[in-house]
Amino acid sequence: MRAPSTLSTPMARFADALLAVDLPALPVDPRRQTVSFIDERVQTMPSVPRFGVKAIGIGVDILSKLAGVDRVISLVTKLPIPLLAEYPRLIRSLAFAYIWETWPATQTDGAQ
Amino acid sequence: MTATNEWAANHECEVLVIGSGAGGATTAAILAEAGHDVLIIEEGPWVDQGEVVPFSLEQMDRQYRSGGVTVALGVPSIAYTEGRCAGGGTEVNSGLYRRPPEQAIARWQSEYAIDDFDADGLLSICEEVEAELTVQTVPGEHTRASEILRDGAAALGWQHDESPRWMSYPEGGRAVDGKRQSMTRTYLPRAFAAGARMLTEHRLDRIVMSGGSATSAELSTTATGIDQPTTITFKSVFVCGGAIQTPAILQRAGFRHRVGRTLAVHPTVKLAARFDETVNTPDDVPVFQVKEFAPGISFGGSASHPGLVALSLIDNWRDFGATVTAWPELAIYYAAITSQGRGWVQAIPGVRDPIVTYRLTKRDRALLGQGLARLALLMLEAGAGEVYPSFKQAPLVRNRADLAKMTAAFAATQASVMTVHLCSTAPMGENYKRTATDSFGKVHGATNVWVNDAALLPDAPGVNPQASVMAIAIRNARRFADERAG
Ligand SMILES: Cc1cc2nc3c(=O)[nH]c(=O)nc-3n(C[C@H](O)[C@H](O)[C@H](O)COP(=O)(O)OP(=O)(O)OC[C@H]3O[C@@H](n4cnc5c(N)ncnc54)[C@H](O)[C@@H]3O)c2cc1C
Repeated sequence: MRAPSTLSTPMARFADALLAVDLPALPVDPRRQTVSFIDERVQTMPSVPRFGVKAIGIGVDILSKLAGVDRVISLVTKLPIPLLAEYPRLIRSLAFAYIWETWPATQTDGAQ
Repeated sequence: MTATNEWAANHECEVLVIGSGAGGATTAAILAEAGHDVLIIEEGPWVDQGEVVPFSLEQMDRQYRSGGVTVALGVPSIAYTEGRCAGGGTEVNSGLYRRPPEQAIARWQSEYAIDDFDADGLLSICEEVEAELTVQTVPGEHTRASEILRDGAAALGWQHDESPRWMSYPEGGRAVDGKRQSMTRTYLPRAFAAGARMLTEHRLDRIVMSGGSATSAELSTTATGIDQPTTITFKSVFVCGGAIQTPAILQRAGFRHRVGRTLAVHPTVKLAARFDETVNTPDDVPVFQVKEFAPGISFGGSASHPGLVALSLIDNWRDFGATVTAWPELAIYYAAITSQGRGWVQAIPGVRDPIVTYRLTKRDRALLGQGLARLALLMLEAGAGEVYPSFKQAPLVRNRADLAKMTAAFAATQASVMTVHLCSTAPMGENYKRTATDSFGKVHGATNVWVNDAALLPDAPGVNPQASVMAIAIRNARRFADERAG
């Protein structure tokens, strides 16, 4: 079992907020465990995409502090900017694959 | 002798083989059996078959490069995966076996001017490989997800067949009873029996060159807790790191000519189909393939454990997400194309991993759309109540009218495109303008550096490539051994 993340990186904070929106009923513990998993996976990504993900993560984190995380999530998710749009998609992909493999009975809203 | 990950500062050998996948393991076995002193180095760990659940996240953690999160940048970007363990991709793949098509062999021979390269020779090596890997069809019951492909194709009168696999089965065994005959069970033990040695969890960082000759290899260990370099001296080196790592290794050694410029893949798009019965087999893949539109387009089935089902729905989670709880009734299928596009692999000084790009052509994008539409039609014919295509803003498909909507809405740039078949980053042949190596894998401009893996294939063969990789690797290794035997 992965230790719950402390949300210490920009990416972890964004992932946590994104999951809270996508899967509002997912309890905090599995959510944090999922965020830890995502964090670990991003650390093992090949150098260049990892650098890109981290750079976007920092930008999004700063924006979230200024404009509010919910607004930034909806903006980043909807804007058709190729690399920016890949960011929430990557996080969602890792999160959903992890959640349904680890807890296959999870409901669509994250309830377990 | 088996593999070890024990660290030592120096090693010596006559032939160094970098990578232990389909190309490296066969090379090592043939050369060791011919009496050469062979040392294999492998970046990943040794994981016995059966130790982890196939297609699971744990498998991705332990046996895939970067946990399976690797991408060729482009519009759209293409997600790809590479094995990174003893046995390479052969340990984690679907085991679907296809001989290299005779047309592809003839095309490669003529366009790339490959000497002594013909269908008879390669296909007779394929026969040996088939015996060694016990390539066979499923003796007993198929999975339901597999039968769906067969039934849908039959209903439409489309050509389809069962792909044999490198599996062993108990007598009359079911599809799910198969045991994958990967390199850790076949060619690597053969190499060890003939005296080859193997270091796992050792990554080649650099081949040291002196003029056109490679003199030594610098390695670091990937095992945790050890941070010591290793140097290996050798007479000859075979680079078998797979189609992404091999060109990066060559580039770092100073080889540039046609290296990493012509990455070829089979791009795929996918969908999830829901039936009114249990169809999901989480840890196996369907064996039927639909070849009606081959080599341009072919259809098959993917691993479908619940995490992957969720993944296939994320592009339209708001509309499709509710179905994830019914994952036992869902299975994932793909349409694969032969692509005219090409990609690049480029090592960057001081950066560990190469950058990979891929550009789909207009025709490729159109073909992906056609493929997905025909695959959805096949699913409806097979009895699917609902089809969930994996691209943004895709409609749910329940009937032919929805299918027309789906076809109109498809854009490859909005799709989750992925591939597991990577080749052609150091093509072989005497046509110097198009090739990075000679007809037997020796790198142009080098005296003692060979490539012997998927990088050599002049282009993507249009079928599952492992048999092509193995047959070519065995051919080239034999040539090397024969020349030295006088
Ligand atoms: C998920 C998946 C499913 C697939 N399904 C099929 C299928 O059903 N049928 C089929 O025919 N093909 C399939 N393939 C493709 C097939 O596995 C490959 O074509 C084949 O393995 C390529 O062989 P290779 O020797 O070129 O590379 P690999 O088998 O990838 O081996 C390369 C090895 O080199 C090692 N290596 C790389 N760099 C270094 C370094 N610097 N130092 C040390 N070691 C290094 C890697 O860790 C790896 O183990 C699939 C592949 C994947 C990933």
